[in-house]
Amino acid sequence: MEREDLIKKWLDYNLNPEEQKAFEALEDYEQLIKLSKSSEAFNAPSYDSEAEYETVSSKLQPKISKNWIRPLMRIAAVLLIGFSVFYYTSNLNSTTSTLIAEQATIELPDASTVELNAVSNLSFNKRTWSDKREVSLEGEAYFRVAKGSKFDVITKEGKVSVLGTEFNVIQRDDYFEVTCFEGLVAVTYDSKYIELKPTQRFTVHNGVIRNNVENQTAPSWINNESSFSSSALELVLEELQRHYEITIDAKQVDTKQIFTGSFTHNDLDLALKSITLPLGITYTKNDAVIVLKGE
Amino acid sequence: MTNPIHQNSCEEHVFSALFKKHSKNLHDFLYYKFGSQLNPKDKVQDAFIKLWDNCAKVPPEKAKSFLFTTANNLMLNAVAHQKVVLRHQQKPQKKSTNESPEFVLEEKQYSEKLQKALENLTEAQRVAFLMNRAEGKRFKEIAELLDISVKAVEKRIYGALKKLREDIEEL
Repeated sequence: MEREDLIKKWLDYNLNPEEQKAFEALEDYEQLIKLSKSSEAFNAPSYDSEAEYETVSSKLQPKISKNWIRPLMRIAAVLLIGFSVFYYTSNLNSTTSTLIAEQATIELPDASTVELNAVSNLSFNKRTWSDKREVSLEGEAYFRVAKGSKFDVITKEGKVSVLGTEFNVIQRDDYFEVTCFEGLVAVTYDSKYIELKPTQRFTVHNGVIRNNVENQTAPSWINNESSFSSSALELVLEELQRHYEITIDAKQVDTKQIFTGSFTHNDLDLALKSITLPLGITYTKNDAVIVLKGE
Repeated sequence: MTNPIHQNSCEEHVFSALFKKHSKNLHDFLYYKFGSQLNPKDKVQDAFIKLWDNCAKVPPEKAKSFLFTTANNLMLNAVAHQKVVLRHQQKPQKKSTNESPEFVLEEKQYSEKLQKALENLTEAQRVAFLMNRAEGKRFKEIAELLDISVKAVEKRIYGALKKLREDIEEL
Protein backbone atom coordinates (compact mmCIF):
# COMPACT_ATOMS: atom_id res chain seq x y z
CA MET A 1 0.00 0.00 0.00
CA GLU A 2 2.77 2.36 0.93
CA ARG A 3 4.57 1.47 -2.25
CA GLU A 4 1.59 2.43 -4.40
CA ASP A 5 1.16 5.70 -2.51
CA LEU A 6 4.81 6.53 -2.99
CA ILE A 7 4.62 5.88 -6.70
CA LYS A 8 1.47 7.98 -7.02
CA LYS A 9 3.09 10.84 -5.12
CA TRP A 10 6.11 10.50 -7.34
CA LEU A 11 3.91 10.64 -10.41
CA ASP A 12 2.27 13.78 -9.03
CA TYR A 13 5.70 15.35 -8.46
CA ASN A 14 4.75 15.59 -4.82
CA LEU A 15 7.38 13.69 -2.83
CA ASN A 16 8.88 15.33 0.24
CA PRO A 17 12.56 14.63 0.99
CA GLU A 18 11.76 11.74 3.33
CA GLU A 19 9.40 10.13 0.89
CA GLN A 20 11.91 10.70 -1.88
CA LYS A 21 14.41 8.59 0.04
CA ALA A 22 11.85 5.86 0.62
CA PHE A 23 10.94 5.94 -3.06
CA GLU A 24 14.55 5.65 -4.14
CA ALA A 25 14.82 2.60 -1.89
CA LEU A 26 12.14 0.75 -3.80
CA GLU A 27 13.43 -2.30 -5.63
CA ASP A 28 11.94 -1.20 -8.97
CA TYR A 29 13.08 2.40 -8.64
CA GLU A 30 15.49 2.07 -11.57
CA GLN A 31 12.80 0.66 -13.83
CA LEU A 32 10.32 3.40 -12.95
CA ILE A 33 12.86 6.11 -13.65
CA LYS A 34 13.81 4.48 -16.93
CA LEU A 35 10.19 4.23 -18.01
CA SER A 36 9.57 7.82 -17.03
CA LYS A 37 12.69 9.12 -18.78
CA SER A 38 11.87 7.24 -21.97
CA SER A 39 8.27 8.46 -21.89
CA GLU A 40 9.45 12.04 -21.78
CA ALA A 41 10.75 11.58 -25.29
CA PHE A 42 7.20 10.98 -26.49
CA ASN A 43 6.12 14.52 -25.78
CA ALA A 44 4.11 16.38 -28.36
CA PRO A 45 5.86 18.26 -31.13
CA SER A 46 6.62 21.83 -30.21
CA TYR A 47 3.68 24.16 -30.64
CA ASP A 48 4.20 27.82 -31.36
CA SER A 49 0.98 29.41 -30.19
CA GLU A 50 2.03 32.89 -31.39
CA ALA A 51 2.54 31.70 -34.95
CA GLU A 52 -0.59 29.55 -34.84
CA TYR A 53 -2.58 32.53 -33.63
CA GLU A 54 -1.44 34.54 -36.63
CA THR A 55 -2.74 31.80 -38.92
CA VAL A 56 -6.06 31.54 -37.12
CA SER A 57 -6.69 35.25 -36.86
CA SER A 58 -6.15 35.62 -40.59
CA LYS A 59 -8.93 33.07 -41.17
CA LEU A 60 -11.45 34.67 -38.84
CA GLN A 61 -14.53 36.32 -40.26
CA PRO A 62 -14.82 39.86 -39.00
CA LYS A 63 -17.58 40.19 -36.45
CA ILE A 64 -20.60 42.28 -37.28
CA SER A 65 -21.11 43.18 -33.66
CA LYS A 66 -17.50 44.26 -33.50
CA ASN A 67 -17.50 46.22 -36.72
CA TRP A 68 -20.89 47.86 -36.33
CA ILE A 69 -19.35 51.02 -37.76
CA ARG A 70 -18.88 49.47 -41.17
CA PRO A 71 -22.55 48.87 -42.09
CA LEU A 72 -23.35 52.21 -40.51
CA MET A 73 -20.83 53.83 -42.80
CA ARG A 74 -22.48 52.16 -45.78
CA ILE A 75 -25.89 53.51 -44.81
CA ALA A 76 -24.38 56.91 -44.21
CA ALA A 77 -22.69 56.84 -47.60
CA VAL A 78 -25.94 55.96 -49.36
CA LEU A 79 -27.78 58.71 -47.49
CA LEU A 80 -25.04 61.17 -48.28
CA ILE A 81 -25.11 60.36 -51.97
CA GLY A 82 -28.89 60.53 -52.03
CA PHE A 83 -28.92 63.81 -50.21
CA SER A 84 -26.20 65.25 -52.42
CA VAL A 85 -28.07 64.30 -55.57
CA PHE A 86 -31.26 65.76 -54.13
CA TYR A 87 -29.48 68.94 -53.05
CA TYR A 88 -27.70 69.24 -56.36
CA THR A 89 -30.80 68.73 -58.46
CA SER A 90 -32.92 70.99 -56.27
CA ASN A 91 -30.31 73.70 -56.59
CA LEU A 92 -30.00 73.17 -60.27
CA ASN A 93 -31.85 75.62 -62.44
CA SER A 94 -34.90 74.24 -64.20
CA THR A 95 -34.37 74.94 -67.86
CA THR A 96 -36.75 74.75 -70.78
CA SER A 97 -35.62 75.11 -74.36
CA THR A 98 -37.56 75.17 -77.57
CA LEU A 99 -36.45 74.31 -81.10
CA ILE A 100 -37.52 75.70 -84.46
CA ALA A 101 -41.30 75.77 -84.86
CA GLU A 102 -41.77 74.67 -81.26
CA GLN A 103 -43.54 76.44 -78.42
CA ALA A 104 -43.77 75.59 -74.75
CA THR A 105 -45.84 76.59 -71.75
CA ILE A 106 -44.04 76.67 -68.41
CA GLU A 107 -45.70 76.85 -65.02
CA LEU A 108 -43.61 78.70 -62.49
CA PRO A 109 -43.80 77.70 -58.80
CA ASP A 110 -46.21 80.54 -57.95
CA ALA A 111 -48.76 79.74 -60.70
CA SER A 112 -47.33 82.34 -63.04
CA THR A 113 -47.13 80.99 -66.57
CA VAL A 114 -44.68 81.56 -69.34
CA GLU A 115 -45.32 80.92 -73.03
CA LEU A 116 -42.00 80.25 -74.69
CA ASN A 117 -41.73 81.00 -78.40
CA ALA A 118 -39.62 79.02 -80.86
CA VAL A 119 -35.82 78.82 -80.45
CA SER A 120 -35.85 80.17 -76.92
CA ASN A 121 -34.47 79.21 -73.55
CA LEU A 122 -35.88 79.92 -70.10
CA SER A 123 -34.36 78.90 -66.79
CA PHE A 124 -35.18 79.53 -63.14
CA ASN A 125 -34.31 78.17 -59.71
CA LYS A 126 -37.10 76.38 -57.85
CA ARG A 127 -35.35 76.44 -54.48
CA THR A 128 -34.79 80.17 -54.25
CA TRP A 129 -38.10 80.97 -55.93
CA SER A 130 -39.86 81.92 -52.69
CA ASP A 131 -37.13 84.49 -51.91
CA LYS A 132 -36.49 85.78 -55.38
CA ARG A 133 -38.74 85.50 -58.39
CA GLU A 134 -36.21 85.54 -61.15
CA VAL A 135 -35.97 83.90 -64.55
CA SER A 136 -33.33 84.05 -67.25
CA LEU A 137 -34.47 84.35 -70.82
CA GLU A 138 -32.90 84.02 -74.22
CA GLY A 139 -35.32 84.43 -77.10
CA GLU A 140 -38.96 85.38 -76.82
CA ALA A 141 -41.53 84.69 -74.14
CA TYR A 142 -44.89 85.94 -73.00
CA PHE A 143 -45.35 86.20 -69.23
CA ARG A 144 -48.54 86.07 -67.19
CA VAL A 145 -47.24 86.86 -63.75
CA ALA A 146 -49.25 86.10 -60.63
CA LYS A 147 -49.51 88.95 -58.16
CA GLY A 148 -46.80 89.00 -55.53
CA SER A 149 -43.33 90.27 -54.90
CA LYS A 150 -40.98 91.60 -57.55
CA PHE A 151 -40.59 89.44 -60.58
CA ASP A 152 -37.44 89.81 -62.67
CA VAL A 153 -36.67 88.65 -66.18
CA ILE A 154 -32.94 88.69 -66.78
CA THR A 155 -31.76 88.90 -70.39
CA LYS A 156 -28.43 89.68 -71.95
CA GLU A 157 -29.75 93.05 -73.06
CA GLY A 158 -31.48 94.21 -69.93
CA LYS A 159 -33.67 93.48 -66.97
CA VAL A 160 -37.47 93.53 -66.88
CA SER A 161 -39.14 93.90 -63.48
CA VAL A 162 -42.84 93.66 -62.73
CA LEU A 163 -45.27 93.25 -59.87
CA GLY A 164 -47.93 91.12 -61.48
CA THR A 165 -48.89 91.62 -65.06
CA GLU A 166 -48.83 90.27 -68.57
CA PHE A 167 -46.01 91.16 -70.87
CA ASN A 168 -43.92 89.88 -73.74
CA VAL A 169 -40.14 89.89 -73.86
CA ILE A 170 -37.98 89.34 -76.93
CA GLN A 171 -34.22 89.15 -76.80
CA ARG A 172 -32.67 88.03 -80.08
CA ASP A 173 -29.09 88.77 -81.10
CA ASP A 174 -29.03 92.59 -81.24
CA TYR A 175 -32.78 93.00 -80.80
CA PHE A 176 -34.56 93.57 -77.50
CA GLU A 177 -38.26 94.21 -77.17
CA VAL A 178 -40.63 94.40 -74.20
CA THR A 179 -44.38 94.80 -74.65
CA CYS A 180 -46.71 95.40 -71.76
CA PHE A 181 -50.24 94.03 -72.01
CA GLU A 182 -51.46 94.53 -68.47
CA GLY A 183 -50.18 96.12 -65.26
CA LEU A 184 -46.90 97.96 -65.05
CA VAL A 185 -43.55 96.82 -66.39
CA ALA A 186 -40.18 98.33 -65.59
CA VAL A 187 -37.31 97.84 -68.02
CA THR A 188 -33.72 98.45 -67.09
CA TYR A 189 -31.64 98.78 -70.22
CA ASP A 190 -28.12 100.11 -70.39
CA SER A 191 -28.55 101.86 -67.02
CA LYS A 192 -31.79 103.45 -68.32
CA TYR A 193 -34.98 102.82 -66.39
CA ILE A 194 -38.20 102.83 -68.39
CA GLU A 195 -41.74 102.12 -67.15
CA LEU A 196 -44.23 100.66 -69.60
CA LYS A 197 -47.99 100.95 -69.22
CA PRO A 198 -50.41 98.60 -70.99
CA THR A 199 -50.17 98.65 -74.79
CA GLN A 200 -46.74 100.30 -74.62
CA ARG A 201 -43.77 98.70 -76.28
CA PHE A 202 -40.08 99.24 -75.79
CA THR A 203 -37.76 98.22 -78.61
CA VAL A 204 -34.02 98.29 -79.05
CA HIS A 205 -32.57 97.32 -82.41
CA ASN A 206 -28.83 97.73 -83.06
CA GLY A 207 -28.70 100.09 -80.11
CA VAL A 208 -31.57 102.28 -81.41
CA ILE A 209 -34.34 102.70 -78.83
CA ARG A 210 -37.94 103.11 -79.97
CA ASN A 211 -41.26 103.33 -78.16
CA ASN A 212 -44.29 101.93 -79.97
CA VAL A 213 -47.90 101.23 -79.18
CA GLU A 214 -49.37 97.78 -79.31
CA ASN A 215 -53.13 97.46 -79.64
CA GLN A 216 -53.53 93.74 -79.13
CA THR A 217 -54.35 92.23 -75.74
CA ALA A 218 -51.79 89.44 -76.10
CA PRO A 219 -48.87 88.83 -78.42
CA SER A 220 -50.06 87.39 -81.71
CA TRP A 221 -47.53 84.53 -81.69
CA ILE A 222 -49.52 82.97 -78.87
CA ASN A 223 -52.18 82.39 -81.57
CA ASN A 224 -49.68 80.98 -84.05
CA GLU A 225 -49.14 84.23 -85.82
CA SER A 226 -46.22 86.67 -85.76
CA SER A 227 -47.12 90.35 -86.06
CA PHE A 228 -44.85 93.27 -86.80
CA SER A 229 -45.37 96.95 -86.93
CA SER A 230 -42.70 99.08 -88.56
CA SER A 231 -40.07 96.37 -88.15
CA ALA A 232 -37.03 95.88 -90.32
CA LEU A 233 -37.47 93.10 -92.87
CA GLU A 234 -34.40 91.26 -91.55
CA LEU A 235 -36.10 90.81 -88.15
CA VAL A 236 -39.20 89.48 -89.87
CA LEU A 237 -37.18 87.02 -91.89
CA GLU A 238 -35.25 85.87 -88.82
CA GLU A 239 -38.52 85.25 -87.03
CA LEU A 240 -39.82 83.36 -90.05
CA GLN A 241 -36.81 81.08 -89.91
CA ARG A 242 -37.61 80.30 -86.30
CA HIS A 243 -41.02 79.00 -87.17
CA TYR A 244 -40.20 77.09 -90.36
CA GLU A 245 -37.17 74.96 -91.04
CA ILE A 246 -36.01 77.00 -93.98
CA THR A 247 -33.06 79.11 -95.07
CA ILE A 248 -33.81 82.47 -96.62
CA ASP A 249 -31.49 84.05 -99.17
CA ALA A 250 -32.29 87.77 -99.12
CA LYS A 251 -29.13 89.12 -100.71
CA GLN A 252 -31.03 90.60 -103.63
CA VAL A 253 -33.49 92.62 -101.53
CA ASP A 254 -33.18 95.51 -99.08
CA THR A 255 -33.58 93.97 -95.65
CA LYS A 256 -33.64 97.33 -93.93
CA GLN A 257 -37.03 98.24 -95.40
CA ILE A 258 -39.87 98.51 -92.94
CA PHE A 259 -42.55 95.85 -92.73
CA THR A 260 -45.89 96.02 -90.97
CA GLY A 261 -48.07 92.97 -90.97
CA SER A 262 -48.12 89.37 -89.80
CA PHE A 263 -47.52 85.82 -90.92
CA THR A 264 -48.99 82.50 -89.81
CA HIS A 265 -47.00 79.65 -88.28
CA ASN A 266 -49.03 76.91 -89.95
CA ASP A 267 -48.64 77.49 -93.69
CA LEU A 268 -45.27 78.40 -95.22
CA ASP A 269 -46.63 79.53 -98.61
CA LEU A 270 -49.24 81.73 -96.99
CA ALA A 271 -46.63 83.16 -94.63
CA LEU A 272 -44.22 83.91 -97.49
CA LYS A 273 -46.96 85.59 -99.46
CA SER A 274 -47.98 87.67 -96.42
CA ILE A 275 -44.48 89.06 -96.24
CA THR A 276 -43.50 89.39 -99.91
CA LEU A 277 -46.71 90.68 -101.51
CA PRO A 278 -46.99 93.94 -99.52
CA LEU A 279 -43.32 94.69 -100.22
CA GLY A 280 -43.52 93.80 -103.88
CA ILE A 281 -41.00 90.99 -103.64
CA THR A 282 -41.07 87.64 -105.43
CA TYR A 283 -39.74 84.40 -104.08
CA THR A 284 -38.64 81.03 -105.44
CA LYS A 285 -38.59 77.89 -103.36
CA ASN A 286 -35.92 75.18 -103.71
CA ASP A 287 -36.58 72.56 -101.07
CA ALA A 288 -35.77 74.40 -97.83
CA VAL A 289 -34.04 77.34 -99.44
CA ILE A 290 -36.10 80.42 -100.25
CA VAL A 291 -34.57 82.99 -102.58
CA LEU A 292 -36.07 86.48 -102.48
CA LYS A 293 -35.91 88.84 -105.42
CA GLY A 294 -36.88 92.45 -105.74
CA GLU A 295 -39.07 93.45 -108.68
CA MET B 1 -13.27 38.56 -15.15
CA THR B 2 -14.36 41.63 -13.18
CA ASN B 3 -17.47 42.00 -15.21
CA PRO B 4 -18.51 38.86 -17.05
CA ILE B 5 -21.02 40.75 -19.20
CA HIS B 6 -18.24 42.64 -20.91
CA GLN B 7 -15.99 39.61 -21.19
CA ASN B 8 -17.10 38.48 -24.58
CA SER B 9 -15.08 36.01 -26.64
CA CYS B 10 -15.93 38.16 -29.66
CA GLU B 11 -13.50 40.78 -28.49
CA GLU B 12 -10.19 40.25 -30.09
CA HIS B 13 -8.05 40.63 -27.00
CA VAL B 14 -10.22 38.12 -25.12
CA PHE B 15 -10.08 35.70 -28.00
CA SER B 16 -6.35 36.14 -28.31
CA ALA B 17 -5.88 35.48 -24.58
CA LEU B 18 -8.01 32.35 -24.85
CA PHE B 19 -5.90 31.16 -27.71
CA LYS B 20 -2.65 31.66 -25.86
CA LYS B 21 -4.03 29.97 -22.77
CA HIS B 22 -5.57 26.89 -24.34
CA SER B 23 -4.10 26.24 -27.76
CA LYS B 24 -0.98 24.39 -26.64
CA ASN B 25 -2.81 22.23 -24.11
CA LEU B 26 -5.46 21.46 -26.68
CA HIS B 27 -2.87 20.58 -29.26
CA ASP B 28 -1.01 18.30 -26.84
CA PHE B 29 -4.24 16.64 -25.78
CA LEU B 30 -5.16 15.87 -29.38
CA TYR B 31 -1.69 14.65 -30.11
CA TYR B 32 -1.58 12.27 -27.15
CA LYS B 33 -5.03 11.01 -27.86
CA PHE B 34 -4.97 10.63 -31.62
CA GLY B 35 -1.34 10.81 -32.65
CA SER B 36 0.14 13.08 -35.29
CA GLN B 37 -1.48 11.51 -38.34
CA LEU B 38 -4.68 13.56 -38.31
CA ASN B 39 -2.84 16.83 -37.96
CA PRO B 40 -3.79 18.12 -34.52
CA LYS B 41 -2.58 21.63 -35.40
CA ASP B 42 -5.31 21.97 -38.03
CA LYS B 43 -7.95 20.73 -35.61
CA VAL B 44 -6.85 23.31 -33.05
CA GLN B 45 -7.26 26.01 -35.66
CA ASP B 46 -10.65 24.73 -36.71
CA ALA B 47 -11.81 24.52 -33.12
CA PHE B 48 -10.80 28.13 -32.47
CA ILE B 49 -12.47 29.29 -35.66
CA LYS B 50 -15.65 27.55 -34.46
CA LEU B 51 -15.27 29.30 -31.13
CA TRP B 52 -15.02 32.63 -32.96
CA ASP B 53 -18.11 31.87 -35.01
CA ASN B 54 -20.01 31.04 -31.84
CA CYS B 55 -18.37 33.63 -29.64
CA ALA B 56 -21.67 35.24 -28.67
CA LYS B 57 -22.94 31.94 -27.23
CA VAL B 58 -19.76 30.82 -25.50
CA PRO B 59 -18.56 32.90 -22.56
CA PRO B 60 -14.79 32.79 -21.97
CA GLU B 61 -15.09 30.62 -18.87
CA LYS B 62 -16.82 27.94 -20.95
CA ALA B 63 -14.42 28.30 -23.86
CA LYS B 64 -12.04 25.58 -22.68
CA SER B 65 -14.66 22.83 -22.60
CA PHE B 66 -16.13 24.08 -25.85
CA LEU B 67 -12.72 23.92 -27.51
CA PHE B 68 -11.85 20.47 -26.17
CA THR B 69 -15.24 19.04 -27.08
CA THR B 70 -15.20 20.62 -30.53
CA ALA B 71 -11.66 19.57 -31.33
CA ASN B 72 -12.33 16.09 -30.05
CA ASN B 73 -15.41 15.81 -32.25
CA LEU B 74 -13.51 17.10 -35.25
CA MET B 75 -10.91 14.42 -34.61
CA LEU B 76 -13.54 11.71 -34.20
CA ASN B 77 -15.12 12.76 -37.50
CA ALA B 78 -11.74 12.49 -39.15
CA VAL B 79 -11.13 9.12 -37.48
CA ALA B 80 -14.45 7.86 -38.82
CA HIS B 81 -13.23 8.56 -42.32
CA GLN B 82 -10.12 6.54 -42.02
CA LYS B 83 -9.06 3.82 -39.70
CA VAL B 84 -5.89 5.22 -38.29
CA VAL B 85 -2.86 3.61 -36.91
CA LEU B 86 -1.61 5.58 -34.00
CA ARG B 87 1.82 6.84 -34.56
CA HIS B 88 3.52 8.55 -31.74
CA GLN B 89 6.96 9.52 -32.67
CA GLN B 90 9.78 9.46 -30.32
CA LYS B 91 12.17 12.28 -30.63
CA PRO B 92 15.84 11.43 -30.97
CA GLN B 93 17.41 11.34 -27.57
CA LYS B 94 20.70 12.84 -26.81
CA LYS B 95 23.26 10.13 -26.71
CA SER B 96 26.62 10.50 -25.15
CA THR B 97 29.45 9.06 -27.16
CA ASN B 98 30.91 7.02 -24.38
CA GLU B 99 27.92 4.68 -24.25
CA SER B 100 28.61 1.17 -25.39
CA PRO B 101 26.90 -0.09 -28.55
CA GLU B 102 25.10 -2.69 -26.49
CA PHE B 103 23.63 0.00 -24.33
CA VAL B 104 22.51 2.03 -27.34
CA LEU B 105 20.85 -1.00 -28.86
CA GLU B 106 19.19 -1.89 -25.62
CA GLU B 107 17.88 1.64 -25.31
CA LYS B 108 16.50 1.49 -28.80
CA GLN B 109 14.73 -1.78 -28.20
CA TYR B 110 13.29 -0.49 -24.95
CA SER B 111 12.00 2.60 -26.69
CA GLU B 112 10.30 0.57 -29.37
CA LYS B 113 8.63 -1.57 -26.73
CA LEU B 114 7.48 1.51 -24.89
CA GLN B 115 5.99 2.94 -28.06
CA LYS B 116 3.97 -0.21 -28.70
CA ALA B 117 2.92 -0.31 -25.08
CA LEU B 118 1.79 3.33 -25.23
CA GLU B 119 -0.27 2.63 -28.30
CA ASN B 120 -1.93 -0.26 -26.48
CA LEU B 121 -3.13 1.98 -23.68
CA THR B 122 -6.68 3.31 -23.70
CA GLU B 123 -6.96 6.86 -25.02
CA ALA B 124 -7.84 8.16 -21.59
CA GLN B 125 -4.86 6.47 -19.97
CA ARG B 126 -2.44 7.57 -22.67
CA VAL B 127 -3.56 11.21 -22.58
CA ALA B 128 -3.30 11.43 -18.83
CA PHE B 129 -0.02 9.54 -18.63
CA LEU B 130 1.76 11.55 -21.33
CA MET B 131 0.47 14.85 -20.03
CA ASN B 132 1.94 13.80 -16.71
CA ARG B 133 5.25 12.35 -17.85
CA ALA B 134 6.00 14.14 -21.11
CA GLU B 135 4.56 17.54 -20.22
CA GLY B 136 5.37 17.34 -16.54
CA LYS B 137 1.85 18.35 -15.52
CA ARG B 138 0.57 17.61 -12.05
CA PHE B 139 -2.63 15.64 -11.43
CA LYS B 140 -4.58 18.77 -10.56
CA GLU B 141 -3.73 20.53 -13.83
CA ILE B 142 -4.66 17.46 -15.86
CA ALA B 143 -7.92 17.10 -13.93
CA GLU B 144 -8.84 20.69 -14.80
CA LEU B 145 -8.00 20.23 -18.46
CA LEU B 146 -9.96 17.03 -18.84
CA ASP B 147 -12.82 18.08 -16.57
CA ILE B 148 -12.44 15.04 -14.37
CA SER B 149 -11.54 14.56 -10.70
CA VAL B 150 -7.98 14.41 -9.44
CA LYS B 151 -8.72 10.92 -8.19
CA ALA B 152 -9.68 9.80 -11.68
CA VAL B 153 -6.50 11.29 -13.09
CA GLU B 154 -4.46 9.47 -10.48
CA LYS B 155 -6.23 6.25 -11.32
CA ARG B 156 -5.65 6.63 -15.03
CA ILE B 157 -2.00 7.49 -14.72
CA TYR B 158 -1.26 4.79 -12.21
CA GLY B 159 -3.20 2.31 -14.29
CA ALA B 160 -1.24 3.37 -17.35
CA LEU B 161 2.03 2.93 -15.51
CA LYS B 162 1.10 -0.55 -14.39
CA LYS B 163 -0.05 -1.60 -17.84
CA LEU B 164 3.04 -0.19 -19.51
CA ARG B 165 5.31 -2.12 -17.21
CA GLU B 166 3.39 -5.34 -17.80
CA ASP B 167 3.47 -4.86 -21.56
CA ILE B 168 7.15 -4.04 -21.62
CA GLU B 169 7.87 -7.17 -19.55
CA GLU B 170 5.88 -9.29 -21.99
CA LEU B 171 7.41 -7.95 -25.18
